[in-house]
Amino acid sequence: MELLDDIKAAKEVVQSLLKAKKTFRMYPDTNPMYAKTIEDTNAKFRNFFDYRDELTFKIKQNELFCDSEQIYHNPQKEDNIALFFFKDGLREITFKKGFSVKELEDFLKILTVDYDREVLDDDVVTLLWERDFQNIKYVVDEAFLTEDEDYENEAVREVKDKASEGDELAKAYEDSFNEESVKDAVIVPLTDKDLHTIVKEIEKDAQDKTSKLITIIFEMLYQAENKSEYEDVVHFLNSIIEFSITHGDLETALHILRKTKEVFGVSSVADEAKKNLNMVFSFLGFDATIKLLGELLDSGIEINEKMWDEYVSFFDKNAIQPFITILGELKSIPARKNVISALIALGKKDIQSLAKGLQDSRWYVVRNIIYILGKIGDKAAVDYLLKTVNHSDMRVRKEGIKALGELGAPSVFPVLRECFNDPDVQIRTAALRALGNIHSTTAKSIILKRMTDAVFAKTEFSEKKEFYEVLSKWKDDDVVDFLVKTFKKKAFFKRAANDENRACAAYGLGLIGNKDALPLLHKAKDSKSKLLREQVYSAIKRIEYGR
Amino acid sequence: MAGRENRKEEFSEAKDIVNQLAVIIRTSAIHDTGNVAITTAIGKFTAIINPLILAEKEILLELGGEFFFFNETRIRYPLEYLTSFDFLAREFKKRGLGSIVFRATLKSEDVQGFLRAFIASASSLEPFEALAEAIADIGSLGIGRLRKIRDEEKTEGTSDVRKMVKKSYFNAVSYTRGVISKIKSGEKVNIKKAKRVVESMVDMILEEEQLLLGMTAIKDYDEYTYHHSVNVSILSVALAQRLGMSKRSLTELGLVALFHDIGKIEIPSEVLNKPTSFTDDEWRMVQKHPFWGVRAILKMRGIDATAARAAIVAFEHHMYHDLSGYPKTRESYELDFFSKIISLADQYDGMTSARVYSRIPMPPDRALSIMMERSGTQLDPILFKFFINMIGVFPVGTLVMLDTKEMGLVYQSDSAFLDRPKVMVIINGKGERVDKYIVDLTEKKSDGKFLRTIVKTMDPNKYRISPAEYLL
Repeated sequence: MELLDDIKAAKEVVQSLLKAKKTFRMYPDTNPMYAKTIEDTNAKFRNFFDYRDELTFKIKQNELFCDSEQIYHNPQKEDNIALFFFKDGLREITFKKGFSVKELEDFLKILTVDYDREVLDDDVVTLLWERDFQNIKYVVDEAFLTEDEDYENEAVREVKDKASEGDELAKAYEDSFNEESVKDAVIVPLTDKDLHTIVKEIEKDAQDKTSKLITIIFEMLYQAENKSEYEDVVHFLNSIIEFSITHGDLETALHILRKTKEVFGVSSVADEAKKNLNMVFSFLGFDATIKLLGELLDSGIEINEKMWDEYVSFFDKNAIQPFITILGELKSIPARKNVISALIALGKKDIQSLAKGLQDSRWYVVRNIIYILGKIGDKAAVDYLLKTVNHSDMRVRKEGIKALGELGAPSVFPVLRECFNDPDVQIRTAALRALGNIHSTTAKSIILKRMTDAVFAKTEFSEKKEFYEVLSKWKDDDVVDFLVKTFKKKAFFKRAANDENRACAAYGLGLIGNKDALPLLHKAKDSKSKLLREQVYSAIKRIEYGR
Repeated sequence: MAGRENRKEEFSEAKDIVNQLAVIIRTSAIHDTGNVAITTAIGKFTAIINPLILAEKEILLELGGEFFFFNETRIRYPLEYLTSFDFLAREFKKRGLGSIVFRATLKSEDVQGFLRAFIASASSLEPFEALAEAIADIGSLGIGRLRKIRDEEKTEGTSDVRKMVKKSYFNAVSYTRGVISKIKSGEKVNIKKAKRVVESMVDMILEEEQLLLGMTAIKDYDEYTYHHSVNVSILSVALAQRLGMSKRSLTELGLVALFHDIGKIEIPSEVLNKPTSFTDDEWRMVQKHPFWGVRAILKMRGIDATAARAAIVAFEHHMYHDLSGYPKTRESYELDFFSKIISLADQYDGMTSARVYSRIPMPPDRALSIMMERSGTQLDPILFKFFINMIGVFPVGTLVMLDTKEMGLVYQSDSAFLDRPKVMVIINGKGERVDKYIVDLTEKKSDGKFLRTIVKTMDPNKYRISPAEYLL
């Protein structure tokens, strides 16, 4: 049988709602598809309202009806819009002609909520109720709210059974004549000031209550008397920390930590309480807690550096490993920077735990750990770092060499010296810079030894220049003598190679800024070698004009 | 199947119209209607109402019970308008005026004419008739009489609405009983369901406040804990509703109130149900129930905004406004707004209920007078004023003797006339027990005097009269 036009239009509304339910889940409100979905669905509603002023769906478990016509049927549980409404007790829903686009959008949002999420306390009816739609009416079956069908009848029957005797009522009536008369009640009226005070209170009441709850939990701690009560307090504080982190509220978590720390200084608080409170600090470092923290960091919420540093100061060393874990998972650079700064602070408490991160399978994590160890500057890390020089990934090796240069323990020299023999120029250069960073006599000797080695002559100009640059950091007589000697050196054979060395020496003298070298440099100003001329010219300028 | 429709204020200007009408009536009691203060206020009034009259063709402003309706939609208003709304309701009731119909665009002269008639009618023996006659020539306006008690209300009170209210109330009690039993046995509690139960109560309070408040007079000794939780929830929501709180906040408050005493489940029943006074140790244990309440809620819910709120109330509901109650805190403390509301409701319901250690409950008016003494110390004085406004000087369940020698129980309060509630008469003026009937104490005789007035209050418990027996 041919459907009437209005029923067809109602059917199309249902189909558009189903479609919208899917698209709303897929696209954020900034996506053009989101706006288009609203537009399309609204068009379907408008189409229906051309026929009638109200659209009513009667809701059964698997069907929707408009008038007596079935306009939707789905025996499956999945994507069943009838069941979706039915299960929360909705039995009828009516959209009135005035149904606005804004109302439609809000309705679609309610349709799209993931009601199966454990944390959500609302169902469809609650959300419709709270939104208080002007143009949606609905009928709900509240039978499922009744825990005990007979409760009402039983309660009423019991009350009736206990009904007073007529005699007692008559007695009350008789006695009433001897009772004192009522006095005129003094009713103090509400004033505008009262209303103003209440309005202010209601405004104030909108503030977050977590801080108040924290105060209460600490009161519970002060009055706790046994282990179980202490444990409860700690559990609640930890839960609030978890809740705060989940909601991007580091300040509240900090508030708990500060208060916890304060309690340690209060002599009247039992030692048992303090002992238990340590668990709050340990909780910060649990895998799950750090994972949540990582999500917060990655969420893009701006975190004040001072606040972060303070927060990190409450961690104990158990947090190191979980931090290393999330370091490899974080997506944003600022998040990683925060974790790195945390590990620099925490690693000082336990180098060994931090160094375990060097075993991580992710090269970038290992590189970060090396960086962190280098920043910590504890020579105890050297033994761990020495191994990284042989890591399979070049980037890790370079970072390891750099860190060794920052730590500069005696044991690093053989390794760095050995690096000069590495076939990769990046490793050799990294080792050179590390030695330059160490800046000791031993480091200088190693560099000089390398520069006087026969192999060095075959080195590329750019690498050579790097050696001279690093060497010039020492600025002492040995180095000046070496540079002058190199600069003065003449050669009949392999003149180009010699000029390269001289150019590098000129560059080094320029970097040192040695004025005594000026006459010597001036003499070479007109050298036939373009390379030499250029380096000499630069060196003179640098020495004479400090440029 | 219980039906529930969401109703919504369709005219956001309605509240301003009522407010402005109250302003011009109040001002015309002081000034002549030609005074600039009045004409300016009238200008403002017509500027708001005329576009609506044009759009709707006819507007009916009606007083129904304690609320104003605008073309049959109840007007919600912010707290700042409360005094205006109360004032206008009182002025309507004084004149037996139930509605004003605005039929055509109002001119300033129409309103001035109405005001003159309205003010003058107050001193007439038949104010409604006087007002109707005086404005007969004003074509743009008409008035309707205040509806008296509905026929079905006059007798058994078995209207469908009352049935629904009763159902809602017992659903809530039965649900609370189930929840407490689940918590005791460590089972998970369905908060979605709790919300729905409370939403249903909030709806009832928004639509039929006095009927649901009447239900709180039902005190079942055996089921005290459950009835008490629900009663406190109802009284709190009803009070908060008068403060203009949003539906969402009302739900949260109602939910939190249901669980305010949850810590008591940890007190051994032999202590809780002890018929004699507590020993020091037992008293110390009872005083711990706020802590246990916090613990029970947080263990049941984990941490979230509602749990925080519920835990705070569970902790604070015995602390009192001046913090003279328990528990005492080490740090300086300020009570939460919800706790202030709930502790008022808790005290009132606690005092007027029979419990093991106090088998004879206090009559509601006596409880109220004790609470009045505590206002400003144990109780927040401003909220207490709202509370009195809500439940009246003679709260529901009070046994009263009228000047007509009829005896009955207070059935519904009247926020415009706090000492003139509706009374369910159970003994007539001849001292005979009769089929109960409802009388409205705001009704007047033709000489302008009230038909009935409360002259005495009695203690129903002394005569084993249970208000529930009549109110159910």
